[in-house]
Amino acid sequence: MPSNRPIAPSSLSVKDLPWQIAWDKDKCTLCGSCTAVCPVNAIELGVFRKRALQTSLLRPEENASTFGTWHGIRQKTDPSFKCVGCAMCTLVCPNDAITPCRSDEADKLRFHINQGGIPRSRGGRRNLAAGLLDQIKFIRISMLTDPALDAGRHEFELRSLLGRVLPPEDSIRFYNERGWIPPVREIYPLIIGGMSFGALSPNMWEGLQLGVTYLNEELGLPVRICTGEGGCPPRLLRSRFLQYVILQIASGYFGWDEIIHAIPEMKVDPCAVEIKYGQGAKPGDGGLLMWHKVNKLIAAIRGVPPGVSLPSPPTHQTKYSIEEAVAKMTQSMYMAWGFRVPVYPKISGTTTATAVLNNITRNSYAAGLAIDGEDGGTGAAYSVSLDHMGHPIASNIRDCYLDLVKTGKQNEVPLFAGGGIGRNGNLAANAAALIMLGASGVQIGKYIMQAAAGCLGSESDRCNICNIGNCPKGITSQDPRLYRRLDVDQVAERVVDVFLSFDTELKKIVAPLGRSTSLPIGMSDALGINDKAAAERLAIRYVV
Amino acid sequence: MNDQHIAIIHGREMGARVSSRILEEEIQKVITSGFRQLNVKAFGQHGIGGRLWSEDKRPIQVTVEGPAGQRLGSMGFPGTRIEVMGPASDDVGWLNAGAEIVIHGNAGNGVANAMAQGKVQVGGNIGARGMTMTKFNPRFTRPELWVLGSVGDYFGEFMAGGVAVVCGIDPQDPDNVLGHRPFIGMVGGRAFSRGPHKGYSQTDAKLVALTDGDWAWLTENLKQFLDAVQKPELFETLAEREQWQVIAARTPQEKISSKRRSMETFHRDVWEAELGQGGLIGDLMEIDRSPISLIPTGDLRRAVPMWENGKFLAPCEATCPSGIPVRQRWQLIRDGLVDEAVDLALQYTPFPATVCGYLCPNPCMEACTRQSALIAPVDTAVIGKASIEARTPDLPELSGHKIAVIGGGPAGISTAWQLRLKGHAATIFDLAETLGGKIPAVIPEARIPAEVVDSELDRVREVLDHEQLKEALTPKDVRNLAVEYEYVVIATGAWKPRTLPVPGAERMMPALDFLAKARTNMASVGKKVVVIGAGNVGCDVAAEAHRLGAEEVLLIDVQEPASFGKEREEAEKIGAQFKWPCFTQEITPEGVMLTTGELLPADSVFISIGDAPDLDFLPPEVTTVHGYIQTDAVGRTADPTIFAIGDAVRPGLLTDAIGSGRRAAEAIDSLLARREPADPMSEVIDINRVSLEYFDPRISGYDDVEQCGDNCASCGTCRDCGICVAVCPQAAISRLDSGAVGYEYAVAADKCIGCGFCAGACPCGVWNMVPNTADI
Repeated sequence: MPSNRPIAPSSLSVKDLPWQIAWDKDKCTLCGSCTAVCPVNAIELGVFRKRALQTSLLRPEENASTFGTWHGIRQKTDPSFKCVGCAMCTLVCPNDAITPCRSDEADKLRFHINQGGIPRSRGGRRNLAAGLLDQIKFIRISMLTDPALDAGRHEFELRSLLGRVLPPEDSIRFYNERGWIPPVREIYPLIIGGMSFGALSPNMWEGLQLGVTYLNEELGLPVRICTGEGGCPPRLLRSRFLQYVILQIASGYFGWDEIIHAIPEMKVDPCAVEIKYGQGAKPGDGGLLMWHKVNKLIAAIRGVPPGVSLPSPPTHQTKYSIEEAVAKMTQSMYMAWGFRVPVYPKISGTTTATAVLNNITRNSYAAGLAIDGEDGGTGAAYSVSLDHMGHPIASNIRDCYLDLVKTGKQNEVPLFAGGGIGRNGNLAANAAALIMLGASGVQIGKYIMQAAAGCLGSESDRCNICNIGNCPKGITSQDPRLYRRLDVDQVAERVVDVFLSFDTELKKIVAPLGRSTSLPIGMSDALGINDKAAAERLAIRYVV
Repeated sequence: MNDQHIAIIHGREMGARVSSRILEEEIQKVITSGFRQLNVKAFGQHGIGGRLWSEDKRPIQVTVEGPAGQRLGSMGFPGTRIEVMGPASDDVGWLNAGAEIVIHGNAGNGVANAMAQGKVQVGGNIGARGMTMTKFNPRFTRPELWVLGSVGDYFGEFMAGGVAVVCGIDPQDPDNVLGHRPFIGMVGGRAFSRGPHKGYSQTDAKLVALTDGDWAWLTENLKQFLDAVQKPELFETLAEREQWQVIAARTPQEKISSKRRSMETFHRDVWEAELGQGGLIGDLMEIDRSPISLIPTGDLRRAVPMWENGKFLAPCEATCPSGIPVRQRWQLIRDGLVDEAVDLALQYTPFPATVCGYLCPNPCMEACTRQSALIAPVDTAVIGKASIEARTPDLPELSGHKIAVIGGGPAGISTAWQLRLKGHAATIFDLAETLGGKIPAVIPEARIPAEVVDSELDRVREVLDHEQLKEALTPKDVRNLAVEYEYVVIATGAWKPRTLPVPGAERMMPALDFLAKARTNMASVGKKVVVIGAGNVGCDVAAEAHRLGAEEVLLIDVQEPASFGKEREEAEKIGAQFKWPCFTQEITPEGVMLTTGELLPADSVFISIGDAPDLDFLPPEVTTVHGYIQTDAVGRTADPTIFAIGDAVRPGLLTDAIGSGRRAAEAIDSLLARREPADPMSEVIDINRVSLEYFDPRISGYDDVEQCGDNCASCGTCRDCGICVAVCPQAAISRLDSGAVGYEYAVAADKCIGCGFCAGACPCGVWNMVPNTADI
């Protein structure tokens, strides 16, 4: 692009872009690694002119202007090739000669990202780094009061219940009247939330499943993972590993024919069925797997033609009310496995969560309620949904829990919280805070991508290109040239690391509370916050 | 007081329990007063026997009868021996720093907790958390705990030194002499145990071999222990070496190496064993999913460079209405083939000098990529002028096909020329005596030297048949021609001046009439001239009027004048004025009256608002639109045997006329060979692929064709500069002596990483990176 040219309203310079490539000519060896690895082709080899002047005041015949050329790395300014700040160039550079730098002011690209009238969409989380969960601290430290436990020495069995826990009298009555009591699973309170086969690459998905299986079978940690809405590979459905899996059904109903066909051949029941009604990252909006991610494999597992975009509508099309949705779908999903598998809905954080909960408490089939807060991640959503829609998880969970307390059902309907847990790396602290606010367990997605596979996405809008299938780490790509960057075993190993370290941290938090065998669900007297309004809203202690 | 004197200390006075503090003070008092043998009748007092030292270093013996309280012997000193005749409570030997403690019964929890020296010997079982946090200080002897029976849960937690011996006689739990989860956090010391147990912390402790030295130590000290707890008869039972095992702390380095099964093994032995070969989706896809490096080569590269040499037209070539491969001519010049470069033009136009060199506004130069960077475009007129020397190509033998061309102007000559080059006989029918149409007839001599036109027309006349018509053709004549010839090409141009239906229109002179007369100096003009219509022809009129004596020339137009290029420059040079918008009301003897009432004084008024074709001769089958003949892209009219080209179809530049003639000739050639005419359009290179940085931006003009050739970026076609070979970081590109043009650049896939440096550096934009679609 010539430097002297007519400009358009959306003509941008490097300075206007959110990420600017700082390239060091002295260090660069022109090896080509950075341009080869850049996922969005934001950089290229540029040819630059260098003019040299030779001047002489006294001997005009010696005055000269000569020019030469040199080659170096140049950043493109076309918005289609904007640098996303992933820093893969930095990663591959043998000489530390290149790195993307955040613009020192709000970029101008944001005002031009809607070319053709199409608003921006992306992956990742809300572009806001701060969060309430990180402010919550655990202020009840038992030393000489309660039995003080040692996280490193004492035995802990931090488990949670997934399923409808009826009070004894109801349980007996149920059994007598109906010959049935609702199934309940004892699971680890940190759950890998729904990320579909399709949104994630095959290597990532298998790495997560492998890691979860290892945790269960080698380390005795009953960790569960949700499939997300994209079906489940037939082999997994027919293996004993299915017991570690929560099958998700959502409004696109992808892959359910494979699941149904597999039911007679299943060796074990799945852990549970999650009915997805909403997602915290994009409340009220549906899912969309772009056509370029729908290759033959994804198509086969989802039961769709390859190369088409797959929308999941924002709503389940044949369900018109809470009552109908909860009653109809929950009961049908129970029937699929002979009433042996707990079924629960997952909704996005919303002020209407208490209404949904109210309905669930009156339906003895509903095994719990999962709520996904506004800070949850996604593979693809409109920026406006990501950044501006949804309900914070802490107060949503708290309201629901306190509603259960009012009706005395806090031990009957487990709540699961998701959305932004561990967003700033404080996984165990965030999880414990939500548990003490009333959650029976937490679901993570983005965190495990970051920790287990090195996802580069951030809340300052780094990378976040999951939606276009060019994930530089191979996490959310269906291109084998990208996803083969990911080693299945290494992902699994990292999953194990994450859970083991989380387990230790959770113990470090709950041991001083004198808890070793049951989770401190709703133990909000242990929580404090340096924010009076938040303390009041969450009904926890205000500490300064 | 000698050693035989025994101080008896009572834990109960008058039936009441003496407090631990009083008892402790009593013990310290008798030690200070010289007693070295104490008999304590305990009643639950804590801390008995600890912290006792004697100035004279004589040993102190404390015998405890009755129920001992907690922390017996805590902070015990070397030289103190405490013997409890029954059981003991919790924390026996807490922080023991050297005392020897013997318990004849069982002991409670926390025996030897934090013991650093000394020895605790228990003749029964002990409770939980025995031998925890024990130390070893190299300045002193290591601490020892001997237990005849079993130990409780969490034995040896955080044990940092010393030796524990668990004999397993009459254990509390016959299946487990070491209790639940022993040796958590153990970092030092060793434990001898005998009897079954249920495991210990594998992270912290390990089984080690019982050496001969160990066995010698154990048997020797076992005798002392059994004597101390008064069970010497058990020696034979316990002296079975194979019943003993030794557990020692792991070193930090050993702890790091986890005993967990490796993920790789788990993957193979558990995961794939259950799911099958290939894991989760091994049944659904066969592609290799094993890890690859970040910067792979070959099929794993994300992008592949393509040497798209000549795939796209350069903007100059694509823009030239005549279709002259301008870029190719510069390439020939760079290759030193100047003659070939000059001659090449005749393949495309019969007028390379006349048109390219003088009369054409050179759209090729307007489109030149260099313009995008505001660098002077390569000057086509330079090579155009040089083309006067172009040699007529060798003509092929006649094919026998015959085509009639009506009209001997640039379009007609072009099509006849092209047909003849393809071997077909083309006869031009024209009323004029000589060929050339408007070129010799109306274009001012100032614009082009007459010898150039003559020379090129001579070249044409040598080749083409010309039949001068005596009178204008009729539709019937055209029909007859269409029967006699296989194809008829109508190239009659536009000669009918357009005029304005205003009063006094007869006072205006059509521009073409004036220009034709001016060529032969037959025209006369007044001092003041108004030209209605300020296009390029109007500019020619202005220049010629000036040459013939006009002093003031005013060009008017209804809109901003569309004139440009050399014509406009010439008009401006002679001082012609331009005025718009002007709408003519009437032509009066005084001049031009505008609708505004303004009178533009004029001695001569010329009208140059265009010319229309005169189509009276058209057979009715040939349709027209808005006064022009209707054709398709290659010039076919509604009658498939009749073509039409040039201004009769669409008013345009000379080069447009020449181009339409060439396209029609190519179409006819195809049709004669019973092929459908090919689409002449071709894709143009994206000029962003071209690197102009290699050129000196300060160049303002060109002296010769060589300089022009050097400065041509050769958009879309390889200059064979070899920069890509030098730039490629992988040395993957090589130049081969093969391919359509005698050389080609090839990429070694096994070296290429797809960095795109070749595409970035290529001056011509030949290299292109495309996504790698190879199956992997």
